Amino acid sequence: MTTTPARDDPQAEQRPGVSPGKSAPDESVPGKPARVTPAATPPPRTKRSAVRRATALRVGPRAALTLVGASLIGLAMFCWPLLVPPQPQSVAHAEQAPLLFVVLLPIILAVVLAEMTEGGLDPKTLALLGVLAALNAALRPLGAGTAGIETVFFLLILAGRVFGPGFGFALGATSLFASALLTAGVGPWLPFQMMASGWVGLGAGLLPRRPSGRAEIALLAAYGVFAAYAFGFLMNLWFWPFAIGDGTQLSFDPEAGPLANLHTFFFYTLATSAFGWDTGRAITNVIAIAVLGPAVLATLRRAARRAAFDTPVSFAAADHGGVPRR
Amino acid sequence: MNRAQRPGGNSRLPDLLQPPLPRALHPGAWWLWALGLAVAASRTTNPILLALILAVAAYVVVRRRGDAPWALSFKMYLLLGALIVVMRVVFRIIFGGGQGDTILFTLPEIPLPEAAAGIRLFGSVAAEQLLGGLYDGLRLATMVVCVGAANSLADPKRMLKTLPGALYEIGASVVVALTVAPQLIDSVRRVRRARRLRGAQGKGRRALRGIIIPVLEDALNRSLALAAAMASRGYGRTGGVDPRSRLVTGLLVVAGLVGICGGLYGVLDSSAPALLGAPLLLGGGALALAGLLLGGRRVRRTGYRPDHWRPAELVTAGAGIATAALMFLTARVDPGNLYPSLSPLAWPDVSMVPVLAVLVGALPALLTPEPPRSGAPLPVPTAEPRKEPVA
Repeated sequence: MTTTPARDDPQAEQRPGVSPGKSAPDESVPGKPARVTPAATPPPRTKRSAVRRATALRVGPRAALTLVGASLIGLAMFCWPLLVPPQPQSVAHAEQAPLLFVVLLPIILAVVLAEMTEGGLDPKTLALLGVLAALNAALRPLGAGTAGIETVFFLLILAGRVFGPGFGFALGATSLFASALLTAGVGPWLPFQMMASGWVGLGAGLLPRRPSGRAEIALLAAYGVFAAYAFGFLMNLWFWPFAIGDGTQLSFDPEAGPLANLHTFFFYTLATSAFGWDTGRAITNVIAIAVLGPAVLATLRRAARRAAFDTPVSFAAADHGGVPRR
Repeated sequence: MNRAQRPGGNSRLPDLLQPPLPRALHPGAWWLWALGLAVAASRTTNPILLALILAVAAYVVVRRRGDAPWALSFKMYLLLGALIVVMRVVFRIIFGGGQGDTILFTLPEIPLPEAAAGIRLFGSVAAEQLLGGLYDGLRLATMVVCVGAANSLADPKRMLKTLPGALYEIGASVVVALTVAPQLIDSVRRVRRARRLRGAQGKGRRALRGIIIPVLEDALNRSLALAAAMASRGYGRTGGVDPRSRLVTGLLVVAGLVGICGGLYGVLDSSAPALLGAPLLLGGGALALAGLLLGGRRVRRTGYRPDHWRPAELVTAGAGIATAALMFLTARVDPGNLYPSLSPLAWPDVSMVPVLAVLVGALPALLTPEPPRSGAPLPVPTAEPRKEPVA
């Protein structure tokens, strides 16, 4: 069904023993150089659910610790208008704090991504990450002109579901980064967007694994609605004090308590974006996941199976003369 | 006499006067320049100065942008800036804010129910109120436009090359994304042609699925083929990582994050000691950054045609930094004109130093080489000066 001819299949040229003319696609282990052989035959596919979720990007304990710490810090940087205790003299602080956050959040994001890829990234993960980020970046401008149609999340949620939380986080961050580079949208808002969409992918990977079939689609659609509103809420909250300045009745008031500010913010977000952008984003997510979800999930799972992320790999000594063992 | 002397005396002069060969500047230089302008803009709400900064940024962009797709984004940022200003002013009309005695007009007031935090809509609108919104909005808009100037001048692909080594893998996957994205259009076109050849003329849901799924499948196949190609060329071989340097990296990163946590607390709660605030926050950031740089040294990598910092780059970055520094200096010496008075209402004035500071930011438009343009043939700057002695 696919329209890709196997024209520049690198395996056919690289692997010794396979004559160049014969380009029979090796479905089980693409991407293995000649001297790497799977330790065992690929796991028997008795149950289809064996590859319901692959772990494309394994998050070690150290990276997990960094991720949790950085997420807490990031959350505090998003929610700072609600965290400031009521105090008259904090005005000066509130002026400089968000500027510091703009400088620090990129560093935190970089540290997390570096820790997650520490020890090298599997080439298959890297290539999948790049290609899916390209798809996301290409999907994003489709809806940008029309109010509220935000197409960037649906593939992110499905991919996070299939490839696991670590991959979901990395995909969310790289998608927005690539999209910003393609559309020249780099700015102080970019680290915040990257962090928030990374969380969307991370959350999709952390959803309960059990549901399948229609239940799974319903679960993902519900998550899509939640993610749409949560993303809008966080992005609004961070930018709220900048967006309308101080002094109006909907403005951030450093002298009021967190609850009063939350109350004000609720009306601000209702007045600016909740009905238009966030609801549009939620509806787009539900429709896209419901209509395309099953087919896209199947496609992604097929790719995960072909990539064989979970197959243990061992290095064996090369045979004499490079004659393939098989 | 003067003309006659010139040909004899200019054996070296034409070389200096010739415009340098077109080349793209280091993206970091453009970003430093733009951030300098943005910092300068953040120090003032004087509309004349802000308009001057906008003019300088726009002039440099028009003179020095190439014809790449990202170079066309400047207009979008101007629109975004306009949107910010309009939003601030409109919000002040609807939701009030700020005080003033110069009432321009009075709209019928609409009190909302008690649940809505006692908000009243509309009411009387004062000139001070609107001007306050306008000045504040213009300041933010100018900063956004400065960022937009950097976006349209700096080459994002070259910027990727300057990522620290620890982010090499993520950077590589972003490069893959940037390369694959244009190919997707081709992929969509191929799938649609194949559908038409098969006589499929579905509409709506089925057609969408019939296009998106093959394109996705195509992209995933391509990614696996790419991964195979990379692995067969030895990519992903990290070699032995020194466990001690791993440990140090991890400790630095964790300590940095802990420091940032403490600093956050200090910054947000002003009753905390001052040392707990910004210094701890920045110190934690520096520690984490050190861990990042150290982690990047695990594998030595070479770059293809790296960008160098040459005089033009230094001039560009220096112009931005000088603008910001001069503006800070004025803020200390004569802050009056930087924040024009709203009560009593007064026409904004400007003094000489901030104007000069902003004009320094325009130097890159004159002192840097032209950007290369893809379609145009290389200019032949030698043609004219060589003719002159003959004539």
